[in-house]
This record gives sequence, C-alpha cells and structure tokens, in this order.
Amino acid sequence: MLGFLKQVGDYAKESFQAAKYIGQGLSVTFDHMSRRPITVQYPYEKLIPSERFRGRIHFEFDKCISCEVCVRVCPINLPVVDWDFDKATKKKTLKHYSIDFGVCIFCGNCVEYCPTNCLSMTEEYELAAYDRHELNYDNVALGRLPYKVTQDPMVTPLRELAYLPKGVMDPHDLPANSRRAGKLPQEILEEAEAEPKS
Amino acid sequence: MNQGIDLQGSFVRALTDLGLSYGVAKTLWLPLPMVLILIAATVSIFVTVWLERKISAAAQQRIGPEYVGPLGTLQAAADGIKLIFKEDITPAKADPILFTLGPALVVIPVFLSYVIVPFGQNLVITDIGVGIFLWIALSSIAPIGLLMAGYSSNNKYSLLGGLRAAAQSISYEIPMALAVLAVVLMSNSLSTIDIVSQQSGYGILGWNIWRQPAGFLIFWIAALAECERLPFDLPEAEEELVAGYQTEYTGMKFGLFYVGSYVNLVLSALIVSILYLGGWEFPVSVTWLADVFGVSETTPWLQVITASVGIMMTLFKAYALVFIAILLRWTVPRVRIDQLLDFGWKFLLPVSLVNLLLTAGLKLAFPFAFGG
Repeated sequence: MLGFLKQVGDYAKESFQAAKYIGQGLSVTFDHMSRRPITVQYPYEKLIPSERFRGRIHFEFDKCISCEVCVRVCPINLPVVDWDFDKATKKKTLKHYSIDFGVCIFCGNCVEYCPTNCLSMTEEYELAAYDRHELNYDNVALGRLPYKVTQDPMVTPLRELAYLPKGVMDPHDLPANSRRAGKLPQEILEEAEAEPKS
Repeated sequence: MNQGIDLQGSFVRALTDLGLSYGVAKTLWLPLPMVLILIAATVSIFVTVWLERKISAAAQQRIGPEYVGPLGTLQAAADGIKLIFKEDITPAKADPILFTLGPALVVIPVFLSYVIVPFGQNLVITDIGVGIFLWIALSSIAPIGLLMAGYSSNNKYSLLGGLRAAAQSISYEIPMALAVLAVVLMSNSLSTIDIVSQQSGYGILGWNIWRQPAGFLIFWIAALAECERLPFDLPEAEEELVAGYQTEYTGMKFGLFYVGSYVNLVLSALIVSILYLGGWEFPVSVTWLADVFGVSETTPWLQVITASVGIMMTLFKAYALVFIAILLRWTVPRVRIDQLLDFGWKFLLPVSLVNLLLTAGLKLAFPFAFGG
C-alpha cells in the first residue's frame, strides 16, 4: 500500500516538474520575442566580409610562372594550368589558367603556396549562375577585381558582430568613426615593437 | 440576467411590421448571421496566419513577412491566391473520389461548428440544446476525412500520416469529452449560452478556470492534439512523413487542409474561452459596474457597449490562447507516437476521469459553488 502511494506521489511530482520545465521553456521563448531581429535584409543590406574572408580567387596572369604548385597543393588538383615550353628563352609561357568554382572548396591552399603571390582571396561570394559551367572561371574572369559592398550605392553595408564597438549588438545606425572593441592588429604590433627587447 | 440586444427579434419585428409574414421574415434573417460568421471565420484565418508568422519570427529573432501589405498583413491573401492558381493534381494511382472528398470532409465540420459559438447573449447562430455536444460530434468527423485523404493518396507517408491523425484524434477526444462533461455537470446544460451564463455575475472570479483548473489544462492539451499543433503534430511531421496525409495534395485541396487547420485552431481557442474563460464576460461584471454607476441594464447605449465588449472579449480571449499555442509551438519538441498515445490514454484519460468524479462530488457537497 505504501509503495503504491509512493509511486503515485512520485508520478505526481514528475508531472509537476514537467509542467514547470515547460513553463520555463515558455518564458525563454517569450523573452526572445522582445529581442531585436538580427535579420540582414540581404539584397539591400550586406555584411562587410572580414579581412580573412575566403571568397572567389583572384588571379594575376602576368605574375604566374606556371610552376603548378597550386595544382599540387589543391585537394582535388583543380586549377588548370595550360603552358608551353619556350625553347628560345628556356622558360614556360602561360597560355590559359582556370579554376572551376563549382568544384572549388575555397580552402585557400593555392593562395597560401603560390610562390609569386599571383593568387589571392577576394571578398566576393555571390557566384550564383544559371549553368554550372559558368562557374568555370578562366584567367580573364579570375583577373576581375571584386566589387566592394562598402562602395555599392545600392547596398547598406553592415559590420559583422566582431567589428562592432564594445557592448553594441546592432550594426544599424552606427556613428561614423566608431571603433571596434579591442585593439587593432597594427596597434598590437606597434606596442610590441615599442617595448624594450629583453 | 437581462437579455441584451436581440437582433433577430428586432429584425423579424421590423419586417412583420412591413407586412411580411413571420415565416418569410425569419427566412430572410437566417442567412445573415451565417454569412457573417462565415466571413468572420475566413478573416480569422488571415489574422491567425499573420499572427503565427509574425510571432514565430519574433520568437526566432527574425522579422517575418513585411512586404505584402502593411507589416505583411496580406501575406495570407498572397499565399491563398498562389494556391488557387496552382495546378490541381490527382496522383495517377490515387482514388479520385476519396482524394477530393477528404479535404472537404475535414473543413466542412470545422466551419459547421461555428454554429454554436456565441459572441454574446443573442449573438449566436443558433442556441441549440445539444450545443457543445454538437461540436464534439462534428470534431469526430474530421479524422474520417484525414484517414480518407491519407488512404486515397496511395502513398506510404500519406497513409501513415492519416493513420496517425485518426489514432491521435480518437485518443484525445475521450479526455476532451470528459473535460467538457465536467463543465456541463456544473452548468446543468449542454447549451453554450447556458455554460457562459453560469460563469457570469462575479466577473473574472466566476469563470470556470478557477473551478476546473485541471479540466482547463486537459481540454487545452486535447484541443492542441485535435488541431495537430506542435507538440502533437505527428500526422504531418515533416522530418518523418514528408507532410503526412497532405503529401500528395496541391493547389486548393491543400489550401483546404491549411484553412481547416487554422480555422480549427481559432475554433478550439473560442471553445476554450467559452467553456473556461467566461466567453463574452468582461473580467469585471458589467451588470455590477452598471449598478455602481446607477445605469439601468436596459439602457440602449449600455446594451450596445455590452454587446461590443462581449465580442471583443471573446475574440481577445481566443487570440490570447492562439498566442499561447504559437508560443508553445516554438518551445516544446514534438512527442513520439508512443509517448503521444501513452500520454493520452495513461495520463489524460485517468486524470480527466478523476476530475469528472471530483466535480460530481463537489457538486453534491457544495451545490452553491458548483451549480447544484
């Protein structure tokens, strides 16, 4: 009899606990309703990509020495380097260079290893095309400079969360020269150089 | 208790004074409240869809619809127009008759149930004696439609969804009916008007929620399950069953399910506010207020104010409940089918049975407080 009563009591306690937890959950959801939306109204507002953003790869044709290091370090040997050996100068002449961004994973190995820095990452990420073959960029397409969101008159550029002043969560209507929280990289460098060497 | 405004009586009297016979006058009156309620129910879909989308967005720190009409209020209209213009496809191996009949059988009872929803003493289509029982009976037709839709689609996901919908509706109808029975026991009547009248007179203190707290919770949970709202949306659980019995539906047939689910949600909220939250009653008794200010209950302007306050209060309570349902949707995870059936049969059913017996006992012990 006592065991049964204990069972009933435990069951009732569990039911009330479950109700309590649902209530707590409801209060969390209710609290979220009064928070500001974090929406970025995309075609009209865009986030400014960070310095280390790995976007579409830029290629400078004249700097390339056709060494094919980019092909070797690429996880899938993606870049296509088309060159001829010029017997007169005993040098390779580059004819074509292309990267298929439909296959590229934007790991940045090619940029990292390029001996002449002819490859670089841009902040461009809007690569949508109607045909996947259009994503195969040749050296002309790769040589185009990206369009910066900060210079686009149609777009309101918004800073990412890490680039906002301390305590600010909303990137809208920031004062013009507001600084981001913490020190800038060059300031850290300057401080380190100013310190006496031990 | 005063009678309030009797629109039907005045209308019929005005026409009989013009020389029409009583029968003709009554026939002319009949379609008016029906059309009005039909329009109100349709508009309530727009409001509820808008609320659902905006509140969901707010709970997830999004903005929600904002370009279609002011603050996105016409989003439901845009969705509806899109659905009307979509091609109406019946799958090749589906049963065309059952496939078409399914959505109709789901929607019609829901709209029909508005017959018994009162917005004031006389603001109801008909005050029939079986009242709330009619709603329970009509709500049991919907699972047949769901089962029909699921079975005729000739799709395993649809069939599973339809079976789940039927199992869920049947299991949760019993605790729901028992909760209603406890209320009916107290008001000695099945009529929705009588149920609200029984709660009136003491303002917020007289509402059934204080006398039936357990019944209120049971009824609300069961109503959510009947409406297939989260946490009980297993029949259309998209992660498991694509869209359950709706999988094969497109165009306006899908639109009917969509309309039905939202009208059903509003209807359930209205019924909860009638059964437990005093229906059209203001939190402070209007009769008492009128007495305090020394205004006669039969003053025309007071009656107009009472009637409009009544409609507002009914809708306000219903939409507060809809708000809670939407908030619950983003708080509680979906239950499994075995948990659902366990909860229905092993928890809600015994608790509602005890609640009913307790109410009967209290009615015998304290007849003044529990409607002896």
